[in-house]
Amino acid sequence: MQDVILGTSVELPQAVMQSVSLNLTVNGQQREFVVEPWTTLLDLLRHEMDLTGTKKGCDHGQCGACTVLIDGRRMNSCLALAVMQDGKTVTTVEGLAAPDGTLSPIQAAFIEHDAFQCGYCTPGQLCSATALLQEGHAHTPEEIRELMSGNLCRCGAYPNIVDAITQVLAQAATPEVA
Amino acid sequence: MDMPIDANTRFAIGQPVSRKEDPVLLRGEGRYSDDLSLPGQAYAVVVRSRYAHGELRGIDAAEALAMPGVLAVITAADLDAAGIGPMQAVVGKHRDGTATPKPHQTALARDRVRYVGDPVALVVAETRELAKDAAEAVMLDIDPLPSVTEAREAADPGAPQLHAEAPGNLVLDFHYGDTEAVNAAFAKAAHVTKLDLRNSRVVVAPMEPRSALATIEDGRLVLRVGCQGVFGLRGTLSSVMNVPKEEIRVLTGNVGGSFGMKAGVYPEYIVLLQAARMLGRPVKWTDARSDSFMSDSHGRDHDFLGELALDSDGTFLAVRLTGFGNLGAYLSNATTIPSTMNTVKNVIGVYRTPLVEVASINVFTNTTPVGAYRGAGRPEGNYYMERLVDTAAKEMGIDRVELRRRNHIQPDQMPYRSPSEMVYDSGDFPALLEDALGAADWDGFASRKAESRRRGKLRGIGIGHYLEVTAPAGKEMGGIIFDEDGGVTIVTGTLDYGQGHASPFAQVLSDRLGVPFDKVRLVQGDSDRLLAGGGTGGSRSMMQSGAAIVEASALVVDKGRALAADALEAAEADIEFSTGRFNVVGTDRAIGIMDLAGRFPGQLNVEHVTEGVPSAFPNGCHVCEVEVDEETGVVAVVRYTMANDFGVLVNPMLVEGQTHGGVVQGIGQALLERTSYDSDGQLLSGSFMDYTLPQAIHAPGFVFVSHPVPARTNALGAKGCGEAGCAGSLPAVMNALADALGKHISMPATPERVWEVMKAA
Repeated sequence: MQDVILGTSVELPQAVMQSVSLNLTVNGQQREFVVEPWTTLLDLLRHEMDLTGTKKGCDHGQCGACTVLIDGRRMNSCLALAVMQDGKTVTTVEGLAAPDGTLSPIQAAFIEHDAFQCGYCTPGQLCSATALLQEGHAHTPEEIRELMSGNLCRCGAYPNIVDAITQVLAQAATPEVA
Repeated sequence: MDMPIDANTRFAIGQPVSRKEDPVLLRGEGRYSDDLSLPGQAYAVVVRSRYAHGELRGIDAAEALAMPGVLAVITAADLDAAGIGPMQAVVGKHRDGTATPKPHQTALARDRVRYVGDPVALVVAETRELAKDAAEAVMLDIDPLPSVTEAREAADPGAPQLHAEAPGNLVLDFHYGDTEAVNAAFAKAAHVTKLDLRNSRVVVAPMEPRSALATIEDGRLVLRVGCQGVFGLRGTLSSVMNVPKEEIRVLTGNVGGSFGMKAGVYPEYIVLLQAARMLGRPVKWTDARSDSFMSDSHGRDHDFLGELALDSDGTFLAVRLTGFGNLGAYLSNATTIPSTMNTVKNVIGVYRTPLVEVASINVFTNTTPVGAYRGAGRPEGNYYMERLVDTAAKEMGIDRVELRRRNHIQPDQMPYRSPSEMVYDSGDFPALLEDALGAADWDGFASRKAESRRRGKLRGIGIGHYLEVTAPAGKEMGGIIFDEDGGVTIVTGTLDYGQGHASPFAQVLSDRLGVPFDKVRLVQGDSDRLLAGGGTGGSRSMMQSGAAIVEASALVVDKGRALAADALEAAEADIEFSTGRFNVVGTDRAIGIMDLAGRFPGQLNVEHVTEGVPSAFPNGCHVCEVEVDEETGVVAVVRYTMANDFGVLVNPMLVEGQTHGGVVQGIGQALLERTSYDSDGQLLSGSFMDYTLPQAIHAPGFVFVSHPVPARTNALGAKGCGEAGCAGSLPAVMNALADALGKHISMPATPERVWEVMKAA
């Protein structure tokens, strides 16, 4: 039997690779970063900013745990290179509540409906639901289920997540009394 | 300073109190293992076998070690040199009384690799990226060997052999039951139903990958890790590392799901501690998801021939299961429990079957080790029985509901001794069945089926009438500490990984001692604080930690009486305790428990260890309706109803959430989740693109009916609920699908398999 070789020898490029600077507004705070070009937005948030609320569930865009809002749109931050986000505005789970700490309507509804268990997918669910509510495409529980299907929850809290979103959707649809 | 007791009624036992941890988790402030970092920490990456089976001839780490920032490459030789022993796992005795083999399992492969993902070396470097690159440069010299992934094939005489100590790959030749009596029952039966029943292998896949941070603090080994119980983990680490327990500390913060999988000591934890010891600095490791698929213990994977003997009017005479348990390449945390005793205990269910026999050949295969997964034999046992019941009903021309009614254990038969030697203390199974049928509108199914037909869909309805035997009595700590800041800390050794223990435990303490709910905290994840701790598993937490808290509360009251007598200048015999206050009988002189604690700092504290309370028997009935798309084979769960008896519900909201989770996981196993190995033992289903986890679209709203019959074997009357969702849903979904198709189908009933079954019609 011949030797079996795992992996290949490569020259590490990081010593010569150019770092890149970029500006980001994260949860209302503008900051400049210098990052390696392969750094994902997820790693930037977790490692450079210590915003560990955003979770890494798969690092392949398959589970949704890392969902954040980029200029208001939901994105898997593990698939978004930080350098591509220059000048953009990012909202993470840490930025969903009001500045005075009041939970957002969807956060409050998650408590009311017991819409999470282990809490690991929850930051992604919350960001995804926040965007979904603004997108305006979901009107029924069926549509909510379909449009939340990018966010996996192994604890199986889906029925309560859908109930929580349904409630906030209904509140939003109710015209405010002048 | 005492709050009026009225303020506590909304936190009383039975109230749907939200979880103390909710706001923290919703703000992204939870602290899961990978969220932790320590100054000066290095990063580890595991080098794993890419072969299912092979001789490990050598490890060439020279190139990796020469790479910038690489600190160490640890192999089995380093572990041996450090006096680290083999991984611990004990099985017991074969059916003939001989001892089962004890294969030498090392944390890192020494001379043989046995599954794809088998850890061989740990690379430690200054950064994650450097460690990753260096891991790819470690060269493994492996001579591939033939491999085997199916239990049935591994038991064949000519099969590739995994462990020299386990000839025939045999871990345990298990048998339970009176063969002669069972044979006689089958011989005189008017009808025998036989069915090949597979309980398919699942990847556990909690959303949080395993992660750990090892360090040396004050000369002690400290491991920060997500697990299911720090006390047990410390004990196992101590015996493997050959270090006294006092010199190890295990700390656990938030845990992002586990479902049985994170219960055990994994090889990575051993090696990380050794790395921290060698380098004198913290070492952190987080599994990549692609590694999780092969390195986290899998669940289920049993194969049984099920047989049910009935007399001419459908009375069950005996049930027999004969088959195989696939344990993977090494013994894991749950060893052989699911395919042996837990199958025996749980196949009986709610029926008056007088005889049971279970025989299983449990073997090693070249697959990821199989461990506990939600229920660990409980859903399996219920699945086997419920499929047999439906099949027997169909074969004998007896209505499936009627057949169940004829065989129910009746409430007036309690306590009922089952043929698996379990004594059911309570339960009203006929009522639970009727509850579920009523809530599900069982009688209205025909019109729904016709309506589905008009839309070109096949519709089926199925029952999953389950009973689970929860974990047996086990030691558990109930510590009650009155803190100087006016808080009260519960210390107990169960550990929640999403269940939410803090609120219901506080509800229990508040009920017993009248302490304000908001003041109660929970310490569960620090081995230094525990005198005992059985961890979470087998749906035991409310029973065992609940019993510990109840017993400890009584001790607090005893101490309090003496102190109150002192404070109130009365005789101890004249002090009575009620709703948070110590009163002098017949007077208005009283002192609240919180005031008393403040007056006598530390003196009310109790560190109690309970011996635990017996297994409980949560039970119920699920009714599932599915629609099958004839064109594509896609199955959709369209209606789902369950009636459950979990005894007294301390917190009904959290109980309902737990059952949702179990049902969703059952739907996943039944319809979506296919773990697949190719003929070389390569794991084909190694990502969320290849392995379908249930999504929101797979879970309709669930109707939940509660019918509590309090348990008589613990003070709270609780029965445990964490795994019951799986036990009811596996049979309910598969029975519904068999009803829709008009024939048996094996799980996972993926569209391809459903389509093939329909085509074969």
